[in-house]
Amino acid sequence: MKNFFRKVAFGIGPNEEVPSDPLNWALNQIDQIPEFSWKGKILTEKELRGHYRDWVYGDRKVLRKKYKDNKNLYKVHKDQLRHETGQKFWESLEISIRHNEAINSNNPVLAKLWMFWGNFFAISEKDFLANYSTGAYQREIIWPNLNQSFEKMVYDVTTSWAMIHHLDNSESAGPKSATASEDWRRKKKEPATINENHARELMELHTISPKAGYTQEDVIQLAYIMTGWQHRWSKKNLETGNIWFNSEYHQIGKKNVLGKEYKKGKKALAVVIKDLVNHPNCRDFVAERLCRYLITDDPTQEMKQPIIDAFQKSDGHIPEIHKAAIKVAFEYNDKYKKFQTPENWFIQVAKISDLNWPPSPDLMDKYELGQKPLDSQRKPQRLLENIGHHPYRAKQPNGWSDHSDDWISPELLIRRLVYAKASFNFNKMENTKKAEYYEKIVEKNFNNPSKIMKYLNQKSRSVAKHTLLFNHPEFLKA
Amino acid sequence: MKISRRDFLKTTALTSLYFAGFGGISNANAGTKKNLVIIMLRGGMDGLCAIPVKGDKNFEKLRSKINLDRTLKLTSDFDLHPALKTFKSLWDENLSAAVHATNIPYTGRSHFDGQNLMESGGKIPYQEKTGWLGRGMKTAGLTGKGLALALPMPLLIRGVPMNNNYFPVGRYLPYPNTLEIIKSAYEEYDEKLLSENLEIILTRDFNNRSSDDAWILASSAGTELSKPDGPKVAVFEVDGFDTHAAQGATDGAHADCLSDYDNIIRSLKSSMSKEAFDNTLVLTLTEFGRTIKQNSSNGTEHGYGSAILMAGGLLKKAQVHTDWPGLKKKELFEGRDLNSTIDARSVYASAMSKVFDVEFERIQKDVFWGDKLNNLSDKLFKA
Repeated sequence: MKNFFRKVAFGIGPNEEVPSDPLNWALNQIDQIPEFSWKGKILTEKELRGHYRDWVYGDRKVLRKKYKDNKNLYKVHKDQLRHETGQKFWESLEISIRHNEAINSNNPVLAKLWMFWGNFFAISEKDFLANYSTGAYQREIIWPNLNQSFEKMVYDVTTSWAMIHHLDNSESAGPKSATASEDWRRKKKEPATINENHARELMELHTISPKAGYTQEDVIQLAYIMTGWQHRWSKKNLETGNIWFNSEYHQIGKKNVLGKEYKKGKKALAVVIKDLVNHPNCRDFVAERLCRYLITDDPTQEMKQPIIDAFQKSDGHIPEIHKAAIKVAFEYNDKYKKFQTPENWFIQVAKISDLNWPPSPDLMDKYELGQKPLDSQRKPQRLLENIGHHPYRAKQPNGWSDHSDDWISPELLIRRLVYAKASFNFNKMENTKKAEYYEKIVEKNFNNPSKIMKYLNQKSRSVAKHTLLFNHPEFLKA
Repeated sequence: MKISRRDFLKTTALTSLYFAGFGGISNANAGTKKNLVIIMLRGGMDGLCAIPVKGDKNFEKLRSKINLDRTLKLTSDFDLHPALKTFKSLWDENLSAAVHATNIPYTGRSHFDGQNLMESGGKIPYQEKTGWLGRGMKTAGLTGKGLALALPMPLLIRGVPMNNNYFPVGRYLPYPNTLEIIKSAYEEYDEKLLSENLEIILTRDFNNRSSDDAWILASSAGTELSKPDGPKVAVFEVDGFDTHAAQGATDGAHADCLSDYDNIIRSLKSSMSKEAFDNTLVLTLTEFGRTIKQNSSNGTEHGYGSAILMAGGLLKKAQVHTDWPGLKKKELFEGRDLNSTIDARSVYASAMSKVFDVEFERIQKDVFWGDKLNNLSDKLFKA
């Protein structure tokens, strides 16, 4: 049963009590969305977008022109601009906030589900999004929606600056729109055309999945509905302006998606999202993904059904979906053990062995714009890249895989071996000195403590015990 | 302008490399070792940008913003993108060629489904859990110690056990006796996949503290492929072909990606022995081509037909092999994309048949479920 604490959260720290009622312990963390427990400075998405703006504007509009004949000077000034806009720092701060919520908050279950949705609505590695914006998107778009409806979540995601930028919707212009007949388009030979990217992913990844059997024409029609949703472009802010509905780019006339007609205009997006989230395939898809994240690579219908039912009954209220998923995870706890992704694994390492992780708010708050961040301040970003799983740098908009096989290869295994060992460097002195340190960890987190202790005691040095413990098959799965 | 664009792409376009099929040549009369290298071009490679058709007024009009202002000459019908310099120099020695207007039989235009299918070789996304190259290696008996040079193992080469991968972590491993204890635990818990992988780690002879720079890896690929007992299959990937915006012409985003590809073949050519390169095929693989028409962001949308770029001494001759479908509106796929008149899987099946010395029909049956494919070996590869 003790693996349940890692299955739906990150395990129990050596100085924490093991909850006597695991199911209710988990269910009680779902309804309220608290402030982040990170005590240090947190920037708003808008502030970070301002830094993004300063970077793209400074590079594109200033430095490239100023140093067009001297690539060395150009490089020097560009590097300086990176530091002036915090390009090498923010993502480590964001990961610190994220990991702190998993390790040091009263709601680790919610944190684990936050990570699920962040990957479900992934912003993958594109432009400089990870450097400035993706963490803030996770905090300001995904997090507050964890106790709202799935419909609201999808709408907020779809109209967020990060997702619109990520999936190019600002580039989409209706061939039958006001802008289509503008003179400059004829002169510059830039006819108004749609960009299907965002529309396709809204169906494929964010709602109904390809199983729903939509056609290319449905994608085009949805893209028409979405035309006009774009960043507000200006000479000063370039592509970093707020999202708005630009009716001049909107395709006129009615659209038809999956057999239903939609009127033209701004409101159609909300209407079509309502229909998409109420499509049976959407419920099935969400249930499947949740089960795969928490329970097994191959969810069964019996597993998915209670989640599908909760979705339908609550009109997609996310806390109800979460509670159903947790109950299913609890029910199948002993039967299925899910291989943990590298990031989940590392957070569990940090949690159960009470590491100095993430870096402290004090350390992170010492950072000042213009500085080159310290190695210790950049640790979170580097560590996650080295274990092969940086949550804000997925390679594709479908996020990181939740299939176990994708995470098992010699090199990925080497990363676990090496970083289990390296995790000892983050150990707190006072812990390692205590004789009962490992006993406590094992007692609180494993179902068969004596067996695990016997395994650990084959080595006497603590660093080797760390390596052994965090590569034990029972720890790799939950 | 160009420099910064390039720098930007370096940070986003991940290039990585895999090896597989290390050793274990099934061929009893293992005379000359032959190699198959696949370079995955992720994002949808624009075959018409790499190899534009000549003198098609309609094409030029549809791409007024992204037409190439200078090209390298290939044939009377086709030009070559100027970023493909190595490809061109190989062409002049009959060491490169292309198949045009070809793609996997997938018309859905989704990257995720398309990339899954280009690697699995199947028709229903996510249905197959193995890759066509892995199944081909299995058919050829190329099991045993495989090697890959990147963090995740690509679907493309899954399907044959004991694949290895290598992407130096830059640190020492734990002591061997610590690893042995872990191995016993894996065995006790019957964790087959974990055990196999740990066994590979324990027995291989690689420096885990070396650099993971893509070009160093690329040139070690060539060195390893040249060894008689080295890998027989290598897989690279280049990201970033999804140029919805700023695709550009001669120096745009697509040019940078093509240049990444070109650097890989240059690196391979220079690091491989002549004999090894002469016995090698290097083929590209992409999920789809791109629309004929540029969009308003000077990019292109997801399309259908693309091209396969080929290099290596096993090629028959420098040629653009194609059954050209034409670019008139009615000749396009759904009125917007270059059509595919050759199932790309025919090319890959023929290549595996050639390199692995397995009859085409067996590859067709064992790897591609007996789907209707054509044996193109005589047309494309040396006898």
